Amino acid sequence: MASSSILPARRTRAIERGPRPRKLTGRRRTTRGLLYFYLTVVAAFSIIPLLLAWSTAFKDRAQVVTNPYGPPIPPALDNLETAWISGRFSEYFLNSVIISVVSVLAMIVVAPLAGYGLARMRFWGRRVVIVVLLIGLTIPITAIILPLYTVMRDFGLLNGYGSVIIAHVAIGAPFFAFIMRAFFLRLPPELEDAARVDGCSEIRVFWNVMLPLVRPGVLTVALLEFLWSWNNLILPLVFLTTDSVRTLPVGMLLLTGRFTTDYGLLSSSVLILSAPVVVLFLLFQRNFVEGLASGSVKG
Amino acid sequence: MVSIASKVPTRRGPRLREMRRGGKRTLTAYLFLAPALILFLVFVLRPTLGLFGLSLFEWNGVSPTREFVGFDNYGRLFEDRLFWKALGNNLLFVLLLVTFNLVVGLITASALARATRGRLIYQLIFFLPVVQASIVTALVWEWIYQPGGLINSFLKTIGLGAFTKGWLGDPNTALPALALAAAWSGFGLAVVLFLAGIQGIDRSLYDAAKVDGANVRQTFFAVTIPQLRPVITVVLLLEMIGAFQAFDIIWATTRGGPVNSTEVLATYMFKRGFTEGQYGYGAAIAVTFMVIVLVAAVISIILRERGED
Repeated sequence: MASSSILPARRTRAIERGPRPRKLTGRRRTTRGLLYFYLTVVAAFSIIPLLLAWSTAFKDRAQVVTNPYGPPIPPALDNLETAWISGRFSEYFLNSVIISVVSVLAMIVVAPLAGYGLARMRFWGRRVVIVVLLIGLTIPITAIILPLYTVMRDFGLLNGYGSVIIAHVAIGAPFFAFIMRAFFLRLPPELEDAARVDGCSEIRVFWNVMLPLVRPGVLTVALLEFLWSWNNLILPLVFLTTDSVRTLPVGMLLLTGRFTTDYGLLSSSVLILSAPVVVLFLLFQRNFVEGLASGSVKG
Repeated sequence: MVSIASKVPTRRGPRLREMRRGGKRTLTAYLFLAPALILFLVFVLRPTLGLFGLSLFEWNGVSPTREFVGFDNYGRLFEDRLFWKALGNNLLFVLLLVTFNLVVGLITASALARATRGRLIYQLIFFLPVVQASIVTALVWEWIYQPGGLINSFLKTIGLGAFTKGWLGDPNTALPALALAAAWSGFGLAVVLFLAGIQGIDRSLYDAAKVDGANVRQTFFAVTIPQLRPVITVVLLLEMIGAFQAFDIIWATTRGGPVNSTEVLATYMFKRGFTEGQYGYGAAIAVTFMVIVLVAAVISIILRERGED
């Protein structure tokens, strides 16, 4: 049992409890039973809402009514098809993919550069830059959405992917720069000194020596930036008002008005939006949990 | 755990004899920082400062002229009953959400620490809602709260049909119902953070408690809680700041209704600013909103830094 938590313990010297007793006495067995009963109830609270939506996505209209809470047997793809084609979710999906992927690509350039500068360089004004970025971490998007809207309008970026992508990267930049900074700070200083003595330029030290060593950090940044831009509602809601550029979350918001009680359709949209995120999460749990635990306060 | 802000260096700048090399170094450093800094300055800092300016005008967002009104918008805010209602709702929302995640989260984490099997599976399940979009949380829970939804079906099944209602349609239950939905989406993060904290507690303290004959409950209050204080503070502030900014989940379900019972600062600002085109007044609400978040965030950063020393 080398690791029993997704997150490493705060202080690493967490000693596992001794070997379990071979036979549980009656009272201990009851306690153990209660423990697992409690955990299962809480797990049900966490998972049932999602299971409800995911399974309903595979039910046809009749099943939604006759069998609202059972498993979707036989599975039907009617609702997914309706959402995908007549609900325009294929378009929304594509828009979401474009916006999220470009945001991620931009962020994995911007954040490592900034993180490296903050972690490994001494320069004039460093303190001010750090404090300004720290304040930037805490500015809520919803608070600046009014002036940000006018800025985007003045740049002529409204109703284009660019507005949302730029906002995703700009607002996330301080947070991801600090994540990368933390990764760079862990590296021993001898590394770059050796490279510099060998006459490498600063950018080559960064690119050839340092960047390959912080790959896990870059992966974390990429995953979290994807999660955030994929799930974000308010930026595309405000900046993109033409249907052809809308993203999935906005499409879902409109669904609530258009088809108020069509839960099959609603569930399908939930499935389409959450499937990519859930797959990525199951593949890279540790990166997600560590990254999110480090203090993202962005909704 | 990745530290967001490690210590700011105490040395103020390059020493004199390093000045010449320092100039070049500064230039290189700023080249590295340029993409992040430029984006941040143009699209975050400038709008933030612009927000303060905006709040001093009366403007509909479109017309080329805006009327300077000084601090009138703030004066109006002070007398706006709906603003205070939204602020009160916002605080209640935060209180409900944070209490739930703190209490249930702590109990769950310490139960999880005692569970020898399936710990990772439970953690995965608790964490799944955390990665869901807020619109997913909103729509799924809106459905659960419907008159014919999961909760009411359950109540009917167990013979409590008298308590069924449209949970989001009743001004008395709408806000707590939404707070529970929002708590659901942040719950897993709290559990994972608490569990990491509990696993960091020195085992000998638990052994000592056992020797002294303490039961589970006594151990929880005498060892776990005091030892977890720094973690609890961080989680508390993290969840508070996140909850205070709630917008999506309310906008996608009740839009502040019924009868303003779920109006919070973010939705109220959005309504006044965008829906009604009162940019100046919306900006004044946003400034107030931001100042509250900033103060809470600065406190959390200071406490976090102190906790890590």
